[in-house]
Amino acid sequence: MSAPEVYSIAKTPVTCHAFNADRSQVAVSLNDNNVQIYEKQGKEWILSETLSEHDKLITSIDWAPNSNRIVTASQDRNAYVWSLSPDPLTGKLVWKPTLVLLRINRAATFVRWSPNEDKFAVASGARAIAICSFDAENNWWVARQLKKPIRSTVLSVDWHPNNVLLAAGSADMKARVFSAYIKDVDKRPSPTIWGEKLPFNTICGEYSSPAGGWVHAVGFSPSGDVLAFASHDSSISIVYPGGPVVHNIRISSLPYVTLTWTSEDALVAAGHDCQPVVFSGSEQGWALIGTLDDTTASSASKAPGARTGTVGRLNSAAFNTFRNADTRGHTGGGDAASDTELLTVHQNTITSVRPYEYGREGVVGRVSTTGVDGKLVIWDVNAVSALTGKMGGLRV
Amino acid sequence: MSFRKIDIDAYDEDVLLEGELCEPDPRDPTQVLSDAKQKQAAVRSTLAKGDIPGALGIALDSIPYGPNVDEAKNLTLQTVVSILNSTKSSEINNVVKALSQDAQDTLMKYLYKGMGMPGWGDVSGSVLLGWHEKLTEVAGTGCIVRVMTDRRTV
Repeated sequence: MSAPEVYSIAKTPVTCHAFNADRSQVAVSLNDNNVQIYEKQGKEWILSETLSEHDKLITSIDWAPNSNRIVTASQDRNAYVWSLSPDPLTGKLVWKPTLVLLRINRAATFVRWSPNEDKFAVASGARAIAICSFDAENNWWVARQLKKPIRSTVLSVDWHPNNVLLAAGSADMKARVFSAYIKDVDKRPSPTIWGEKLPFNTICGEYSSPAGGWVHAVGFSPSGDVLAFASHDSSISIVYPGGPVVHNIRISSLPYVTLTWTSEDALVAAGHDCQPVVFSGSEQGWALIGTLDDTTASSASKAPGARTGTVGRLNSAAFNTFRNADTRGHTGGGDAASDTELLTVHQNTITSVRPYEYGREGVVGRVSTTGVDGKLVIWDVNAVSALTGKMGGLRV
Repeated sequence: MSFRKIDIDAYDEDVLLEGELCEPDPRDPTQVLSDAKQKQAAVRSTLAKGDIPGALGIALDSIPYGPNVDEAKNLTLQTVVSILNSTKSSEINNVVKALSQDAQDTLMKYLYKGMGMPGWGDVSGSVLLGWHEKLTEVAGTGCIVRVMTDRRTV
């Protein structure tokens, strides 16, 4: 159980982030067309490199841990694969970009490497997902598109551990599982609970939440047998394809936009509520367990003078409120700065949550989050506390 | 010149239709209307006995939604509004807590529908706001988001 490590790395929103294999570097997009690579020096993250090649905002970055390649997707309808190679002039290692022709006519929204790092999937606003694989003969990346039956922008994708199946969440309110089997790249996959003998672009399942809403995030469990998706109707749905059994958990706070599984029976979701939340369950049912953000501990350090001091009739909160209203024209307790500050660690929407540290048997021990407030925070997944009655820091 | 007035979707063969996003009410429109009338009568008798939670339960169950059922929708709104108006403000909290999650979401939909039609029938802004405050305390902002997102509009 440890407190979260909070780093304020930027004054602008962090759109997405990706760590390298040993977590010594992180690649982020600060809502512009450059990739900023930060390196951990001591207790701080220092900017070490800026990769500029895209013309428009970079929407998504993924860093392959084994082959050490970065793939970036941008609103300029392109994706670049960056690999470290020695510069011919100086001999230093530099990141060299390779353009990938996706053949989409709208922005790319999301990108992820496959588990074997030989393919990557790019979700786009062109109602298609481009599956890109490397063609060694011509030395370039070739894209094939998954189109049917997607009816609107694809917002997020996630790969199944068998390197063939892909889950996609889309703005047409559906979460789907596709087969992205590429003939020369993949060996024929063994049958899974999602189906067998799956040629490219087969639909293995299509799911949606009862109240609808864009599907912001999808994720396969570590074994690949369970699918979870977060949709804009403030709900999380967990799908067991055997039945199919769909557990839909409606939450009382704002919708989640990102999620990640931590073990076979638990996941962390985060979004407009500004705090990461833990869900846990099994095929019999799922429930919200609590939040990783202990708001009661943090509020004790802020709020100067509002509730400390001696107990007595003249030191009550009500007395102070009226006295403040009289002398300073305030109607609330505390000064103006803390009135607008949230009780949670993140001060704005969390845009991305990713696994940071793996424990025994592939169970995730820590997760990292970045948000619109420019912060990068690393959380201990086991430090779960109950959601407080004030909806965890929401100020209405 | 008037680029903003051009409807580009008119020339798109593959445009996303509203019908593809939402499943329509499986019942026949006349069936829906007669169901709504029956519910109104049942609610009136339950209200006469003073049973607010029971009346609300009947009114919020199997509501009309989607296209083609406008008369039934207005009738159900009138029914729900009559229940809301006849509840004492001290009781609202308990009534709201006793509702199921589905019923809470449906009630929030009617509150917003009523707020969008001020002065229609018996709709009273202050009554709706009072219910809205109590319902948000219990069901949270997620309930409001679900009203905005759900395409099964009442």
